[in-house]
Amino acid sequence: MRRYEVMVILDPDLEEKTIAPSLDTFLNVVKSDGGSVERVDIWGRRRLAYEINKKTEGIYAVINLTATPTAVAELDRQLGLNEAVMRTKVMRPEDVREEAK
Amino acid sequence: MGRDREKDTKRRPMRASDKMPLKKVTPLLKPDVKVVDYKDVNLLRKFVSDRGKIRARRVTGLTVQQQRAVATAVKNAREMALLPYIPTSR
Repeated sequence: MRRYEVMVILDPDLEEKTIAPSLDTFLNVVKSDGGSVERVDIWGRRRLAYEINKKTEGIYAVINLTATPTAVAELDRQLGLNEAVMRTKVMRPEDVREEAK
Repeated sequence: MGRDREKDTKRRPMRASDKMPLKKVTPLLKPDVKVVDYKDVNLLRKFVSDRGKIRARRVTGLTVQQQRAVATAVKNAREMALLPYIPTSR
C-alpha cells in the first residue's frame, strides 16, 4: 500500500453538488481493494492557464488516498474514460518518500 | 604560430565578467526547503518569468536540489493548467 495524491480536472458544466457523490463512486475501486481515502478536497471552479477541450475553466479536485498501485492505475484508467473528466494526475507525495528512506 | 596566439588574445573582446564580480542574489527559498508543491501556484509564480519560462539558478539563487524540485513542480503545474506554457497576454 502506498500513499497517492490524485488531481482531477472536471468539466465546468457539471453541477458542483453532483461532484462529491460522483467522485465517491470512482473511489469505490480503491475502497473495494482494501485501500482508504484520506481526503477529498474540491477546489471548485478555477480558471485554466490554457484551454483544455475548448474550455477555459475547470473544476479541480484533489484526492489523498492510500492504495495498492494496481488499484490506483485502475482508478486513473476509469477517470480517463469518463467524458466529464478533462485531466488527471497521479502523484506520490514527496515528503512521504523522504520518510520511507 | 606564437604570433597568431598573441593576436588572438588581443582581439578577444572584454567581457562583463572580467571586471565586475557577479552580484550575489538572495535565494528565493530558505535553504531548508526541500519539497516544492506543484499546487502552490503563488510560490511557483516567483520562479517563472513573465514569458512563462523557468528562471535560471543564477537568478533564483537556489541550491541544485531546490532548483530541480522547483523545475519539476513548475512542469507538473503546467500539465494541470495551473501555470501557462505560453502566457496569453501579449
